[in-house]
Amino acid sequence: MRAHFIALAVLGAAFFHATPGLAHHSNVAFEVTKVVTITGVVKDFQWRNPHTWVLLAVDDGKGGKVDWAVEGRAPGILLRAGWSKNSLKPGEMITVDMSPARDGSKTGLVARVTKADGTILANAPPPTQ
Amino acid sequence: MTTRKTILPLLMLGIPVLCAQAPPDFSGVYYPLNPFGANALGRGAGAGKQPPATGGKQKGPPPRPTQSAPLADGSQGRSPDAPSLTPPYMAKWEMIRKSRMAGSSEYDNTAKCLPPGMPAMMNMAYGMEVMQTKDKITFFSELNDALRRVYLDGRKPTQKILDDPTYAGYSTGHWEGDTLLVDTVALHENSFIEGFSPHSDVMSIKERIRFLSPGLLEDRITVTDPKALTKPWETVKTYRKATAGTDELREFACPEGLGDAK
Repeated sequence: MRAHFIALAVLGAAFFHATPGLAHHSNVAFEVTKVVTITGVVKDFQWRNPHTWVLLAVDDGKGGKVDWAVEGRAPGILLRAGWSKNSLKPGEMITVDMSPARDGSKTGLVARVTKADGTILANAPPPTQ
Repeated sequence: MTTRKTILPLLMLGIPVLCAQAPPDFSGVYYPLNPFGANALGRGAGAGKQPPATGGKQKGPPPRPTQSAPLADGSQGRSPDAPSLTPPYMAKWEMIRKSRMAGSSEYDNTAKCLPPGMPAMMNMAYGMEVMQTKDKITFFSELNDALRRVYLDGRKPTQKILDDPTYAGYSTGHWEGDTLLVDTVALHENSFIEGFSPHSDVMSIKERIRFLSPGLLEDRITVTDPKALTKPWETVKTYRKATAGTDELREFACPEGLGDAK
């Protein structure tokens, strides 16, 4: 099982070498108590289990772009937080508050997404009272 | 006189039957109170479209979140509420903690799309659906599409079942008034008590499940494990029944994302 998982991850990383790795992992891969903000243009929004992914191009400050991949919670809980499969479209500018990966890769765990019109997409519904 | 002698015992037999109330119906979709902890951030408050900053009474945008998820790597040590582990299992926990602090998912079953197992499953962080019949109650967790069945028809686990441990274990229950009493055994070792603490193959679980008030369901859980725990571990979960609009859970299909991007 583990070998199979690693094989899939390696295969995936090889196939998607142009974007940061999107391997499935738990929250411990991220510095969850730290939040940084990036702003960029959506390249792809992947609405799938067990995590959603937003791929975006961010200015690197040197006239170029750098690709980021940020991981969100699963579609089920995001639906109840106000998201939908069509919440983010390629080409739109968004701001992402996220916890960076511990390994320094261009990946993060979404705390919230803010759209250009000010709409805030939280990473979970309001707490149940 | 003969008639009275015949009827009286029948009436006495009938009284308990007439007085016995039907058990409550737990069926429905529920969400736990504080599933991500009291300090969970990045959610709820401030979500939705924000009005312009100049918009009259508005006090500006909501504060920026300072956390994306609860810290669960063990870097802060063990909570006073955590299960009290015996030395061998404490050593296992230390090993797991080091792995997590290094950013590894090695000991995170959820990250491997495995079921959370009992009793961690009853955290139900992504919602729970209860399906109840006279002879069986089924608990479904949206997180990892996990499921457990509680048999109410009087059956008991056979040796064959005891020899075949699973993540959810084997649960039997009965009603005591309005409270459902559940016993769970046959739990295998490849799961974690509350999602982090290891346990042995002799772990067993007792639950008392009841409505605290209409729509507010409580599960009082007691975990016993003579090998792994120095004393039984008790925890209480509380769930609110969903209202219209949020009363449907979604497919989780975890393996969809195993590996890499589509």
